[in-house]
Amino acid sequence: MIPESRDELHTLAGEYVLGVLDAADVSKIRTAMMTNPALRDAVAFWEERLHPLSAAALPTEPPPGLWDRIAARLDGETPTRPALRLWSAQTPWRWSTAVFAAVAAALALYIALKPVPPAPSFMAVLHAPQHNQANWIAIASHRGFLVRAVEGATPPPGGRAFELWAIPPGAAIPQSIGVIPPDGVFHLDALPPSVRAGATLAISIEPPGGSPTKQPTGPVVFAGTLSEM
Amino acid sequence: MDENRAAALSPVALLIEAIALGSRAALKRLYELESRRLYGIALRIVGRPEIASEVLQEAFLQVWQNAQAFSAQRGAASAWLTGIVRFRAIDAVRKIRREILVDDPTLGDAPLEPDVIEKIDAKAEAIALRRCLALLDENQRRCVVLAFVDGYSHAEIAQRLATPLGSIKSWVRRGLAALRSCLES
Repeated sequence: MIPESRDELHTLAGEYVLGVLDAADVSKIRTAMMTNPALRDAVAFWEERLHPLSAAALPTEPPPGLWDRIAARLDGETPTRPALRLWSAQTPWRWSTAVFAAVAAALALYIALKPVPPAPSFMAVLHAPQHNQANWIAIASHRGFLVRAVEGATPPPGGRAFELWAIPPGAAIPQSIGVIPPDGVFHLDALPPSVRAGATLAISIEPPGGSPTKQPTGPVVFAGTLSEM
Repeated sequence: MDENRAAALSPVALLIEAIALGSRAALKRLYELESRRLYGIALRIVGRPEIASEVLQEAFLQVWQNAQAFSAQRGAASAWLTGIVRFRAIDAVRKIRREILVDDPTLGDAPLEPDVIEKIDAKAEAIALRRCLALLDENQRRCVVLAFVDGYSHAEIAQRLATPLGSIKSWVRRGLAALRSCLES
């Protein structure tokens, strides 16, 4: 049922994203998406282009306790490797040669991304003292170290800069990790030795270009602790 | 991950990366940021709070399990989330209508909202969609909106607009073709 022509492929993908197709067609498309990159691209095109229309639904507070119900169900579930569930939990697996090849390729990618034994990954949520709301999120893994403002960064006033510090467990002296660029995205390809489980991450306000003394000179405005995931 | 890619990540995409690495804190934060929007989308389609809640639960479990697939595919994060919720909501509503509402008496009661396009926000991609939707003829536009926003099937749109099924299918297809040529231009 998957058409060859680009126009028809796009129309079918559009019908799929709109949700007008019946269950049998939906299932065929999901199976075909595993091996048909043009179809995947067409579906992604419609999902992204039609997405603004979803703003027509009024945002509504979910019932209280819904998160707790989700959290309780996480205990029985672990994130599945992409090789085992690439696209949809509802897609019935058909062990055709093509699917097997796709799975093998995904597994190879997975192994390439996750060295064996897998290096540990860490995460920290940084927030302002006395506030629970997460302002920054830090992820550290073998893929590097990324610290980023959760809802866009507002650089400190007066041309000053946010500087990131790490205090390893048991240490008393913060070590500068670097000055956070004004866009609020700080990235390193490799983990500094002080960025490890139990380390406190802190962000202080410093003069342009960072602290002149190698120690924080301004107030610490956000802090959090790295824990292993 | 290179600098450009990191800079292109939205906060939501970053949270999904952390979820792919197994972070529950990130999933919780994603819920805090996105649950109102996503619950609103589910509720609009299924119409019943208890079913919308079930849809949202299943959707977040799917995010938890499939976050790594998102990392691999690298689309727009909030559109990916919307897609998960919409498909689950549409599955749920089709089941309900099959089971108890074969001839849905409420179908056709909700007002057709001519202002629905006005609710699309003012970001760049939204402006393009608005402009292109405005170029469709009225019937094509109604079909697209009823399907995407309200989760209507071909048959439900036909019933709603009191129009033969074949015409609806053709309006949808022609609407999509016109929309794509406008969006790609």
